[in-house]
Amino acid sequence: MTHNPTIVVGIKQVPDDDEVRIDPDTGRLDRSSAPAVLNSPDRNALEAALGVRDDVGGQVIAMTMGPPPAADVLKEAVAMGCDDGVLISDIAFGGSDTWPTSLTLARTAEYLDADIVVCGEETTDSSTGQVPPGIAAHRGWAQLTYVEELEPLPEANQLAARRDVEGGYERVVADLPVVVAVAFGENEPRPAGLHRKIYAENEFEPVTVDANDLDIDEETVGLEASPTNVGGMETIEGVDRERTVVDDVDELAEAIRSTEVFA
Amino acid sequence: MTEIIADRNTETPDYDDRFDAVVVGAGLAGSAAALTMADGGLDVIMIERGRYPGAKNVFGGVLYTPTIRKLADLDDAPLERYIAERRYGMLTDHDETAISISPGEWHEPPHNDSYTVFRGEFDEWFAEQAVDAGATLLTETTVTGLVRENGRIIGVKTDRPDGTLRAPYVVLAEGGNSLVSERAELKETEQRGNVAVAVKEVVEFPDDDNAIQDRFRLTGDAGAAYHYFGEGAVGDAFGGGFVYTNGETVSVGLAYRISDAVSGQPNPEGTLNAFKTHPAVAPLFRGGRTVEYAAKTIPEGGADSVPELTHDGAVIVGDAAGLVLNNGVHLEGTNMAVESGFHAGKSIVDAAEQGRTDADALSAYAENLEASFVMRNLRRYEWLMEAVENDREFVFRELPQALADAGTEYFRIDREPKESHAENAKERIMEAVGGYTGAAKLALRYRKIVT
Repeated sequence: MTHNPTIVVGIKQVPDDDEVRIDPDTGRLDRSSAPAVLNSPDRNALEAALGVRDDVGGQVIAMTMGPPPAADVLKEAVAMGCDDGVLISDIAFGGSDTWPTSLTLARTAEYLDADIVVCGEETTDSSTGQVPPGIAAHRGWAQLTYVEELEPLPEANQLAARRDVEGGYERVVADLPVVVAVAFGENEPRPAGLHRKIYAENEFEPVTVDANDLDIDEETVGLEASPTNVGGMETIEGVDRERTVVDDVDELAEAIRSTEVFA
Repeated sequence: MTEIIADRNTETPDYDDRFDAVVVGAGLAGSAAALTMADGGLDVIMIERGRYPGAKNVFGGVLYTPTIRKLADLDDAPLERYIAERRYGMLTDHDETAISISPGEWHEPPHNDSYTVFRGEFDEWFAEQAVDAGATLLTETTVTGLVRENGRIIGVKTDRPDGTLRAPYVVLAEGGNSLVSERAELKETEQRGNVAVAVKEVVEFPDDDNAIQDRFRLTGDAGAAYHYFGEGAVGDAFGGGFVYTNGETVSVGLAYRISDAVSGQPNPEGTLNAFKTHPAVAPLFRGGRTVEYAAKTIPEGGADSVPELTHDGAVIVGDAAGLVLNNGVHLEGTNMAVESGFHAGKSIVDAAEQGRTDADALSAYAENLEASFVMRNLRRYEWLMEAVENDREFVFRELPQALADAGTEYFRIDREPKESHAENAKERIMEAVGGYTGAAKLALRYRKIVT
């Protein structure tokens, strides 16, 4: 950088958490009926990236990893104002946990000559928050997490970030290239322009890249290369609330005294 | 930057006048218009404010499909049940007097073109038919106004940045709450006496898989449409209640005039709860659980309230044009919406062939709608609302009570002879209708409902 940085935004398609129903009979989440939508923290990432472009120019390119239908979120990103979108799709990526996912996204960022990578703080369907730091770690780049606001410093080839800390905020400056995770809800994502939205949904086609394009060894991604091992799941049974009817205040005080509320 | 990106052109094109027509709202009227125009070779864009077509749409529950059947293949459509039985019940606060009809013919395709549907599913499907025919659908975008040039409507304004889109024709299919048409002074804001407020619940039966077929005596895909009026349905208001069976749920609701909601019957939700617990209705919902609650307004002004339908560069269709028939026996709007969208679409295709956008070039829409069942039905019952309004105490309160009392007398089992039971029953009716003279007047006044 550069007055015209290449800003790559990692986004993800997730089940719509507004539409994830709780089965009233079993109390379990039913995700299968929920439509796939853009992970909402990613809107803050897109807004932050587009804000940097507003300030210093450059290009904003959205990237997402997934099967071809995931291209829908790229269209949404382009509608919002991204210059382009890249679909990272390969059968070899199937079953990847955060380790190979961040490896793949890091390789894609490098492939796109990224100066800045921006992500949301986490995804609503897995909530690990590991991917943005993972991208930085795989490449040895700087990282700025839980960012409220970005301030590009093009003369110094740096990016400053305001981070929320207890009792105030801190300002951290990082050298490029840098990976940014934007705190959820910290900015107001811009609505898509009418003509841009018509274009994005009807004419735009994303660039598609696979493991071969990215020079990724298929042994290093996918389920087999994922270190996460889910040990098991437990369902917590609800506890019925006890109800007692008392006749007067003294009886109430006695009832409370007999519990562990008052020693 | 990498070459793979640098070589691409992703500039935003200018879509002004790239589409032949903009359709405001992808409900039944809008999609019918879009589908008709796309079939006629026009480039059409539908602009829908909901996240998907139907997301914002509410209706009682029965869709009438004679025109849709001509436009699309209904075999693929998400239909719930066909209507196999219609029941009309008059309710006092604790009596019911009902008639039921279930002709054998209704069990045979095309099932009298009457089906319960969920609009969220059906409208999305119908809009897809328009998209398959070549139309473009844009969701989550609200049209806020019209663009005019020298008096002619030449496009729409939306709530988005860079939000103006020009097109030679605009189809206003925005529904009953037609703010765009009103702001553009293409129609007047409706009087509150001509608008109904409707509330509805969808109820499921978690503990009884056979609840619907058992309680409504149904088999297979057969369904029931029950209509109710009288004090037990909507209290002191002018309106009625309904119960419709869906596939796995039952819709129950009521509609009455907003003018009553601001005076004598202020609480639609409470009124619906009272209706649901009426002794004739409550057993249908035993053990039920409400899974959805919805409300909307229905234009009921009849033919008098239908605005000028064609303008230079624009037409108004569906609920936005007030095309809803409610005469107590027939509650129809969906069929009129589709019929109007179809005629409007056709007139635009014809006008486009002549390269004209003026109102005169679109007049075939108004003429064909006038000649169709839509305006003929609205005109036929124009007098009815006023007549019932004048007789509302009789129609909604005295008549249901008299019929219930007469039935009680006529079928009374005691040690009196049937002659006196029949006499008592007749007396009760005569009292309510005002003797032979009153009965004759009523018969004359309401003869056009059946003749």
